[in-house]
Amino acid sequence: MKKVILIGMICLSLNSQALTQRIEVLGMVCAFCAQGIEKSFESAKNVKAVFVNLEDYFVAIESKNEKGLDEMVIRKIITESGYDVKKIEVVPDSVSVIKKKYEPK
Amino acid sequence: MIKIIKIYAMAIILFTSYQSILQAAPMSYKGSTTSMATISKDYSSLESSYVITTKDAIGLRAFKSTGDSHTIKAEGIFYLRKLMRINAINSQTNLWLFADAGTINVKKNLKNKDHYYLSPTLQFDYETKGLFGLISHQLLRVGHDNFDTTKIEGGFSFYEKSYKETQPWFILKAKNINNIFNKIEYTPTLRLINKAIFMDAGISMDGKPSLHVMYTF
Repeated sequence: MKKVILIGMICLSLNSQALTQRIEVLGMVCAFCAQGIEKSFESAKNVKAVFVNLEDYFVAIESKNEKGLDEMVIRKIITESGYDVKKIEVVPDSVSVIKKKYEPK
Repeated sequence: MIKIIKIYAMAIILFTSYQSILQAAPMSYKGSTTSMATISKDYSSLESSYVITTKDAIGLRAFKSTGDSHTIKAEGIFYLRKLMRINAINSQTNLWLFADAGTINVKKNLKNKDHYYLSPTLQFDYETKGLFGLISHQLLRVGHDNFDTTKIEGGFSFYEKSYKETQPWFILKAKNINNIFNKIEYTPTLRLINKAIFMDAGISMDGKPSLHVMYTF
């Protein structure tokens, strides 16, 4: 029982350290083109989860710590994938919560 | 100095005398490799390209095109340059330059002849989540023969899908290759896109089926 509580507390503390950033992307109009963004963020350091949303033209990334990804790194990844950044903001929801909101059931 | 002028003159002569053929969609993201194949009764091609910078890619290509009076077969390399991209909130506009070089075999009146070729192509395309348009022109001159290729494509997506779902499109393609096609070929096409896979399947107004498959990894 103690072990379960301990694991639960560790999980909670790890989750509280994560940071989610929402990036509005200009020009991201098809899945074939947007896969580069997903692959690049997935292979970036400090990234735990990535979610691409074509309907509302944004990408959400969840980092492994509270610092998040440097904006310069984000802009570099988006630009090298062929797109431009419109806006970067920190959002309270985790990527899994955002996925649930937007992905078809 | 004279040597440089000679080389320059030779390059111009080659550029205006010899040429290649046209392909479909161009460049993915930096560090990616895109391979594609096209098969139809009178045209087939196979190619693969690697994106070296955000604006440049290099690749290998082979194609064959058969007409009533001419058959051309070519193998070569190509350089692709993204000359312009305009990223808007709900659209993407591109201007591409392809520069092909290689060897081409022309069969005409039962005679075969090999040539070297250099061939530039300009492609302009515009895309939203629901609309697509493309126009391109390739200069392909081999000796005294003109195999210039012009393509116009336009279409729409049936409905919007999420990133991980397959999105279907209807595309009408119009294509002409001088000395190969006697008239403009129109091909209504079903396009399916699912992340790394891109597939076009169509049947021309003359009843000729065609298939184009592209994969990025």
